[in-house]
Amino acid sequence: MSKILTRRRVILGAAAGAGIIAYEALPQGAFKYGLIKAADSFTLRAQRLIIGKSLVREFSPADISPQFPTNGVNMPEGETYQQLLASNFGDWALKIDGKVRTPVSASLAELRSMPSRTQITMHTCDEGWNAIGQWKGVPVAHLLNMAGLAPDARYVVFHCLDKQGDGVMYYESLDLFDAFHPQTILAYEMNGEPLPVGHGAPLRLRIELQIGYKNAKYIDRIEVVDSLANIGKGRGGWWEDSGDAVWYAGQ
Amino acid sequence: MTVIERHPFAVRLWHWITAAAVFVLLFTGVVVFNVHPRLYWGEVGNATMPAAIAIEAPPGADLKAKPVPAIFRVGSHTWDLTGSVGLSVGGGEYFMIYRSPRYFMKFGAARAYHFMAAWVFALSWVAYAVYLFTSRRLKRDLLPTSAQFTVRAFARDVWDHVRLRRAHGAAAGEYNLLQKLTYLAVVFILVPVMALSGLTQSHAITARFPELFTLFGGRESARTIHGLTAALFVVFILIHIFQLFVAGFITKVRAMITGKLNISEQAST
Repeated sequence: MSKILTRRRVILGAAAGAGIIAYEALPQGAFKYGLIKAADSFTLRAQRLIIGKSLVREFSPADISPQFPTNGVNMPEGETYQQLLASNFGDWALKIDGKVRTPVSASLAELRSMPSRTQITMHTCDEGWNAIGQWKGVPVAHLLNMAGLAPDARYVVFHCLDKQGDGVMYYESLDLFDAFHPQTILAYEMNGEPLPVGHGAPLRLRIELQIGYKNAKYIDRIEVVDSLANIGKGRGGWWEDSGDAVWYAGQ
Repeated sequence: MTVIERHPFAVRLWHWITAAAVFVLLFTGVVVFNVHPRLYWGEVGNATMPAAIAIEAPPGADLKAKPVPAIFRVGSHTWDLTGSVGLSVGGGEYFMIYRSPRYFMKFGAARAYHFMAAWVFALSWVAYAVYLFTSRRLKRDLLPTSAQFTVRAFARDVWDHVRLRRAHGAAAGEYNLLQKLTYLAVVFILVPVMALSGLTQSHAITARFPELFTLFGGRESARTIHGLTAALFVVFILIHIFQLFVAGFITKVRAMITGKLNISEQAST
């Protein structure tokens, strides 16, 4: 009896030890990422089966949070952004290129004259806190329709003006389902005021079906691509590439 | 020696898959809690608002002091945690139950593994529930018998637990009343509440099922309930393991691995 138990204990102990060593020895981007990506794709597919045309809850003006914490970069570094800020983004224009029929360039004034959507929604950080704000902006669907998608367009990448700790400019991406969702907008106003610097002036993404870090701030350029393989390290976003964050953050 | 077939293969498989998933869920859950160790009540909660439950610095504390002063606060009740939690290095001012989770696992990875383990946990739960209701195991193993369900039997069962008395013979081959009620409560109340409060954190899921907000009184309330159910689950696991020692650790663990339980009086422990 005790012999069997000893053998089992040895086998279990060895298996646990081997498991831990194997996990620690795994190179980043190989098996670990494979696991994360497989589970993430599974979640995406499962959620897409049920979402349909659902919209997230919208709140009344009375629900707007008096203080809305900022996260990540609150003031982009560098001369370029400071000059844009000094000119009140007068010389700045949003670029849309990549897998589109007609590349678009639109100034802030032009964006403001386009059809807009105003929504009071909850922003949830992956850290677990949240806040409610009012956002006004251009539906991403409108901009993509303006540019016209090429037949092989699959993802929409948002390139940003804020440099991260590793010297890389922030970037995020969505697939077309989320990009064309009616509540997915590029906001230029928050709580009835021009978008504050801490919240991503001149333009930030509101992707209400996903959480915090997908809502990229300081957007400068939209690139439509057929694959995320050549964006950053290939996982589709700065947090995904540098922090093992899941790409689909509908959770 | 009297050996009975105690646990069918399906139950054993479910038990160990669940055990592994729960280990990952609790570990990564604490990593996630660590980056914002504040729990709120209601729809909204963030650093600018008061928290119902928090690990934080006491008012006016010197964060440069070593060790960093820290308290665990529930409402207005506080417990000193100085020395047992560390302050985050580099990032924001948050406390860590693990001293340096970032060297073991990035926060984003912790979330990713949490969702991965949640799938395993949820799908095996569904399979187990289907098995219970389509086999005789629910009635045979988990529903109290009419003999157990009397005041007298209940009082006796409680008294046996208080004395940490081990069941012998045929009685060791089935669950006692408190055990059955505990398992039923964990499987059919605690786990569903934990799963649904977790799903209430999802923007996509709540877009489709906004009723979840009504059920829990808001996203932050649901997050708090999620944490409380996790804490209750830890209490369950500790008692579960403690009771193994009361009942005979090796015979019981062996029964959950091989399915066979030795119920003779000389059963080795």
